[in-house]
Amino acid sequence: MHIHKDLKMAEVIHMNHHLLPVLNRFDIYLGFGERTVEAVCIDHKVNVDFFLEIVNTFHDSSYFPLRHLQSFKASMLIDYLHKTHAYYLDVKIPEIGRYISEIAQTSDFEEIHRKLLKDFFNQYQHELTNHINKEEQGVYPYVLRLEKALESEDANAETIKELQQYSIIEYEKDHDDVEAKLFDLKNILIKYLPPVHNNKLLNLIVHEIFELERDLNNHGHIEDLILVPIVENMEKELLSRHPKRHSNV
Amino acid sequence: MSNRLCILIAEPSFLIREGLKTLLSNQGQPYRLEEFDAPVDDLDKLINRINPDLVLLNPKLVVRLVSLPRYSDNNFEPYYIGLFEPGTPPHIQSKFDQMIWLDAEKSELNKVMEKVLKHLRNGLSEPENNSLSERELSILKLVALGHTNNEIADKLFISAHTVMTHRKNITRKLGIKTVSGLTVYAILNQLIKIEEIQGAD
Repeated sequence: MHIHKDLKMAEVIHMNHHLLPVLNRFDIYLGFGERTVEAVCIDHKVNVDFFLEIVNTFHDSSYFPLRHLQSFKASMLIDYLHKTHAYYLDVKIPEIGRYISEIAQTSDFEEIHRKLLKDFFNQYQHELTNHINKEEQGVYPYVLRLEKALESEDANAETIKELQQYSIIEYEKDHDDVEAKLFDLKNILIKYLPPVHNNKLLNLIVHEIFELERDLNNHGHIEDLILVPIVENMEKELLSRHPKRHSNV
Repeated sequence: MSNRLCILIAEPSFLIREGLKTLLSNQGQPYRLEEFDAPVDDLDKLINRINPDLVLLNPKLVVRLVSLPRYSDNNFEPYYIGLFEPGTPPHIQSKFDQMIWLDAEKSELNKVMEKVLKHLRNGLSEPENNSLSERELSILKLVALGHTNNEIADKLFISAHTVMTHRKNITRKLGIKTVSGLTVYAILNQLIKIEEIQGAD
């Protein structure tokens, strides 16, 4: 069932509690009382349609957001993606990192196993951080420049030039290797790590990694299904205002 | 490697998608499903992201269908079933591993589905054949030590293509895709010693 604006927000969480961190990215926290999704969104100055597309994409991986794409401002989406990144880098990854160090310290692993586990996680953290930085420093600012150019009547010449040479479609996401590392980490923990004393902690780590993976998949999904089409439209619109001049070079 | 099949359905018609799901459910096998109903611009990207074992694809949905993505470094080769309407040209049909005509009879549809799922189930990792062969072990060691496919091919007097096939099988059996993951596995299982690793990243 899809989430719609007249559902109570509390029911949404009953349906799928994995949405809690997603709600938090809109600065929406528990304590909804009987208020509906729409009422809570209005209270928090969140665009209801946008909120619904995001939570439905997360809730149902086959959901295809199409309806309101045109009405979303790219900056709204960038803000959401940015908060998602912050959640990974400032909350989830450090948390899992702490658990990993703890399990490495408190198990009677050989020193080498301890180092292997920590190094593998550090490598993953490093790759994820690099990937995120690329988006934060390259793609997102580009999108915001486009939005600014669209809003102001006379777009700055550099943005137009950039646009004529670059398109969001060319932006190849190198999610692949980052994803593969997380996949490997899961199997190392589930299948190959020698027995540990603190099994509760190991369970927790595995659980957290599954949650992170789900969230990351959704993040990639939102980039592909919402961000890219929105930006393509912006590019088209801008290019139609500033048709490419053919040069002989 | 999960024992649950990952199935991708790309078909514009809601009714047909629901019908396919019923057919799949009748086979009584657990699976994870992804559905698409909108035109696909970049099939490679979609396949790479979802990494399905089985793809049920209506070729109409693909913008400029040139070839079906068969292989990438980390992934396994998906099995393609074409969802064909009368009039689908032969050069499109021939790209697929198996075909379903959308106007086919129920018994025919069940037969195809049963055959395909049986084929795929045999490909899934079974507990008994999960251990690595001698050849795979020696290749795993070399990979973990940081050798490239070409170096391994030279050392073992086999083609780079054969090395790739072995690596694909190693990844499928162990559930580990990256070189550094394979290195961790090799050390944990005392196949190599950490001091041996050359040019590690």
